[in-house]
Amino acid sequence: MIRDLLANLDTLLLWGFAGCAFVSAALMLVLRQPMRVAMALVSCMVFLGGVYGLLGVHFIAAFQVLIYVGAVMVFMVYAIMLLDPRDESAGTSKYSKLYWPGLVGLTALAEALAVGYWNDLPHALRGAAGEPFDILRFSEAFLSEYWLHFELTSVLLVAAVVAAMAVIRENRRHERG
Amino acid sequence: MIADLVIALVFIGYAISVLMGFGTILTWVERKQAAVMSDRIGANRAYIRLPFTQVKLVWWGLFHGMADGLKMLLKEDFKPRTYDWYAYAVAPWVVFTPVLLVFAVIPFGGTLTPAKLWAPLAGFFGERSWPMQIATLDAGLLIVFAFSGLTIIGAMLAGWSSSNKFSLLGALRAGSQMISYELVLALTILGLILIYGTVDLDVMVRRQSGTVLGFLPAWGIVYQPFAASLFLAAAIAENKRIPFDLPEAESELIAGYFTEYSAMKMGLFMFAEFIEIAIIGALFTTLFLGGYNLPYMSDAGFALPGGAAVALPHGAVVVTQLATFLLKVFLVCSFQILIRWTLPRFRYDQVLTFAWKFMFPLALANLVVTAVVVWAVRA
Repeated sequence: MIRDLLANLDTLLLWGFAGCAFVSAALMLVLRQPMRVAMALVSCMVFLGGVYGLLGVHFIAAFQVLIYVGAVMVFMVYAIMLLDPRDESAGTSKYSKLYWPGLVGLTALAEALAVGYWNDLPHALRGAAGEPFDILRFSEAFLSEYWLHFELTSVLLVAAVVAAMAVIRENRRHERG
Repeated sequence: MIADLVIALVFIGYAISVLMGFGTILTWVERKQAAVMSDRIGANRAYIRLPFTQVKLVWWGLFHGMADGLKMLLKEDFKPRTYDWYAYAVAPWVVFTPVLLVFAVIPFGGTLTPAKLWAPLAGFFGERSWPMQIATLDAGLLIVFAFSGLTIIGAMLAGWSSSNKFSLLGALRAGSQMISYELVLALTILGLILIYGTVDLDVMVRRQSGTVLGFLPAWGIVYQPFAASLFLAAAIAENKRIPFDLPEAESELIAGYFTEYSAMKMGLFMFAEFIEIAIIGALFTTLFLGGYNLPYMSDAGFALPGGAAVALPHGAVVVTQLATFLLKVFLVCSFQILIRWTLPRFRYDQVLTFAWKFMFPLALANLVVTAVVVWAVRA
């Protein structure tokens, strides 16, 4: 029994992390208070990192937490921290009005997915045959195949930042009259 | 499979007891070293009296840590009325847990072969050997940064959820300071990654067991002395200790982002800070001071510069490596405390200027020079 459990420990953990990621993603949609939404997103990212780690791609897991939590979410939390917590719009109703219908729909969807794919559940890759996708292979693929996509994305991000600044400037000009 | 689990549990138990031990001892070292530096006697009042005798064990004030812990556990657990009790309750743990998790990828010894330590163990473990590290991951250094990024969120959450203006200001300062210095910290290490060609911490330690110029140990600090000093400065700033303790500057913000925390919840913040001193020590040791090896030492024994080699039995190697690692970490911790009692606090704008206009360009310059040299040597 214990031996069986140990042999499938990776898979159990994988499904544990996946379930937690799923629940926090759902919480992120349902919750109303900005900081709690941000926290739900943070935990979703961390659990997804755990899923990646168990699938054997440790550095993708590290990047997932490093970039999404360590960089993106830190800035979001920083901004939310400066919001007025007594803002009425966040506190009027704790959850969206579609809370119960949403929950029922979500359960139905989860059940449909689980029933439909029960036999095709992926198992954790650690110990499975085949070369692990390590950082060397990742770097080669990244620098030979995907560098253009990456650079294009950064250009897009810079454009977005410039656009955001332009919008703020424009608004300020209007406020001054 | 069960052998793997047993080994993992043993390593995890060792790591947790080492970190907790360092956390406790460092609270004492901080007081006693401060006393030594300012020519005082320091903490010497707490004692344990042997039952039914008048014998009082003082032991240089070592029991003060126990007294502190008891006080924190027994104090009233004051809870302020906040707008988010959940965030308030969870914040100390968001600060504390990642600090412990970082240690998972740090190697605290070479390879362990239980069968060679004690022959009867071969029946259970076979002839297998394990690297003395909780998680052997190819992304080691990235994991360190991923987890240390999480503590920023904890500090901001604590300050925000306390509904206190001092706390909020402390959280703002903590957020911007830690973001700035984390960048510098990562940049200083890039040079080492270029030299060693890996982010796996265990491989990095093994690459440091050779020699440079025939006699110098091939430690990171020999290759990158400049990066080492930048790393230590940025790491102390990341840990928010004097001279960078603006987020909790008592003369300005009472206790900054954890002003509203009392009893053991405040203790968790303090404890996380002391454990992080040990984590910085462990990282510095691993990256720049040859990790768990003495100079000229590897898993097989010593290979001295003259060409002489001394082979050591497996048990001696394991014990030496464990002890060397702890000693090096302790020395780096002590050095950090030395800095803490030497320098005065910066002004807040100076802290950020120092990060962005002084350390950041220097770290970049160090990286460029390293890249050019590595390229020239390999070509």
